[in-house]
Amino acid sequence: MTLVSLGVATAVYIIYATRSASGPRGGSSIGLAFGIIGSACMIFAGLLGARKKVPVWRLGRAQTWMRGHLWLGLLSLPLICFHAGFRFGGLLTSVLMILLIVVVASGIFGAALQHYMPSIVTDRVPMETIFEQIGNIRAQLIAEADEMVDAMCGPPSLELAAVAKIMPVGATTVPDASGGTLPLRKFYSGELRPFLRNENKVSTPLADETKAAAMFDGLRTLLPGNMHETIGNLEQICEEERQLRRQVTFHHWLHGWLILHVPLSLALLLLGFAHAIMALHY
Amino acid sequence: MPRSRLSTKKLAQRIDMGYFKRPHPFRRLRSILSICLPLLALIWLGWYALARNNRVYSSGTLSRSHAVLTQECGACHLKESGSFTAKASDHACESCHDGPIHHANQTFQPNCSSCHQEHRGHLRLAATADTSCTQCHADLHSNGPSPHFAHDITRFDGGHPEFAAVRSGSSDPGTIKLNHAIHLRHDLKGPNGSVQLDCTDCHRTAATKESWKFGSTTPASAQVEAKDIPPSKQTGRANMVPIAYTKHCSACHGLQFDPRFQEQVPHDTPAVIHAFLLQKFQQYIPSHPSELRVAAPNRNLPQQPVTTTSRVLTAQEWVTLRVAESEELLWRKTCPQCHSLVLAPNAQLPLITKSNIPPRWFTHAVFDHDAHKFLKCAECHAAATTSQATADVLLPGIQTCEKCHHRGAESAESRCFECHTYHDWTKEKSVKGSFTFRAGAASTGNATAQ
Repeated sequence: MTLVSLGVATAVYIIYATRSASGPRGGSSIGLAFGIIGSACMIFAGLLGARKKVPVWRLGRAQTWMRGHLWLGLLSLPLICFHAGFRFGGLLTSVLMILLIVVVASGIFGAALQHYMPSIVTDRVPMETIFEQIGNIRAQLIAEADEMVDAMCGPPSLELAAVAKIMPVGATTVPDASGGTLPLRKFYSGELRPFLRNENKVSTPLADETKAAAMFDGLRTLLPGNMHETIGNLEQICEEERQLRRQVTFHHWLHGWLILHVPLSLALLLLGFAHAIMALHY
Repeated sequence: MPRSRLSTKKLAQRIDMGYFKRPHPFRRLRSILSICLPLLALIWLGWYALARNNRVYSSGTLSRSHAVLTQECGACHLKESGSFTAKASDHACESCHDGPIHHANQTFQPNCSSCHQEHRGHLRLAATADTSCTQCHADLHSNGPSPHFAHDITRFDGGHPEFAAVRSGSSDPGTIKLNHAIHLRHDLKGPNGSVQLDCTDCHRTAATKESWKFGSTTPASAQVEAKDIPPSKQTGRANMVPIAYTKHCSACHGLQFDPRFQEQVPHDTPAVIHAFLLQKFQQYIPSHPSELRVAAPNRNLPQQPVTTTSRVLTAQEWVTLRVAESEELLWRKTCPQCHSLVLAPNAQLPLITKSNIPPRWFTHAVFDHDAHKFLKCAECHAAATTSQATADVLLPGIQTCEKCHHRGAESAESRCFECHTYHDWTKEKSVKGSFTFRAGAASTGNATAQ
């Protein structure tokens, strides 16, 4: 339907532009018609936000509104170009044209992202969670990992005393620092916990699945067999953290473009209204 | 303990039930920007409104000639009382410009702005699109009798009829006998020996300051300008000055009438020449009375001696005789070299056919020779070098012009306005100025309409 409308509009414009004595103008009857229809498309596209804010309004399905938003929003660009005769004109009209192009381009970009990315997210983030929960989930993962490592290696203070060869408070002997858990504690303190806490300023090998697997395999060779289950659990936690990070990245891509699209479209509608009033005046 | 054996309690604890109360930074930023950007837009428009500057609403830059009115939207956009709109009407244009009607029988009169598009940048307003003209001339109708112009002109190259002057069957209406081929010979006999004439020795615009080589010493003065060009724009450089004997011919084509006199008869009507001859001879004979005695020889009969007798004429008889001889020379030989004379049997003086040299050939178009001075004359007037008859039309046809004037970026202008004007400037009316310099802004030259 949109393509048919575009075809009809294009045909009308070509006939009008070639036959008009003064060339295509926004103020001519046909130019005004293009402008009105294009503005109506933009206004309808802008109403999607209102429809989302008040979902109880039974004014058609959300899917219909989204489709209308996409197709009519897309149609508004050529219609406004026909209205303007493919000229930028003065200051306000130039700003409007630039805004329209940016809004439509960002909308196309966002629509493409939202079309292709969900399947990518499903494929690459099987442990997807609610985005706003990620901080909470991460904290729980850290607590869980701490609990596992402490259960295996003892509290961190005991290990530090063994390394420093000092007697902890309340103990009668110096702990043995040559125990098999030291590599685990060192790995956990130096690599895994900072990774889980998202403290790495530079890229860490644990962010890469293959390198992380190699690191954990190496750890398994250093530690006795009874610790391998714990290592496996830690590896799962590490994978879950990677997926959380991936989910954050995908979420930023999926929603970041709206920071540009929504405010600019509101400015576009406001300035478009001002242009319509003043253009009719002059 | 394997992680997969986590209890449901532990799993449920993963959900923070208050997550939706905390807006994500993206959403917060989006909300802030959704308020700030439209507010910024409003402030931007408000700024211009406070400064009483409406340029922001302009649909484009004004042409160079109207640039001085950039800040004065009201100069053209006149607001009628009680009306919201302030369209640029013809009334506003007419406060500075007169735009005479094109033709009394035209079927409609377009608005000024339909042809002269403003707010399209620093363009020439007079450079109108062809569609402004072809909206009528592509299918020409008239409110009066059927127009004698072509009915379907769509553009210059490929859609314009041949120039009327050079169409098949047309001829030069001039009656002056002129052979261009002879005049352009390299060994032409001149006043001081052989000469090689150049086109500009006879054909120049009025603006040329050099004196005529083979004519009078005064430069060209007569102007022949088109009614199509506003008087204020006529420069004297467009068209050639009409051929005149005194300027162009007199040095070589003398009008001697009698060996007694160095003077020549005036290049004038036969009556004036006759009066001139009478006066000359009447003034001459009192100081040369010996010429009154003229020999009157008998007939030279075979085997009879020739005896001469002389007789004495009266002054009147002598003058009459000399005038008759001079006029015989002039009417039979000198004048007919160029003119067509009609000698009626009983008429005392001949009738000379009007020269009928067209001062302008393109009466419905404007041609500027000055703009084409980089070309050799023969490039356009190729037939001149070989023309032998007066009736030959030596103007170039449309194909010659199309060599340069055709559509495309690398060609000369070919739109209608280049040669034709819409307004009939013979009907131009003067316009009384209504603008003043704004008080305190005279140094900047800002103008405001009263």
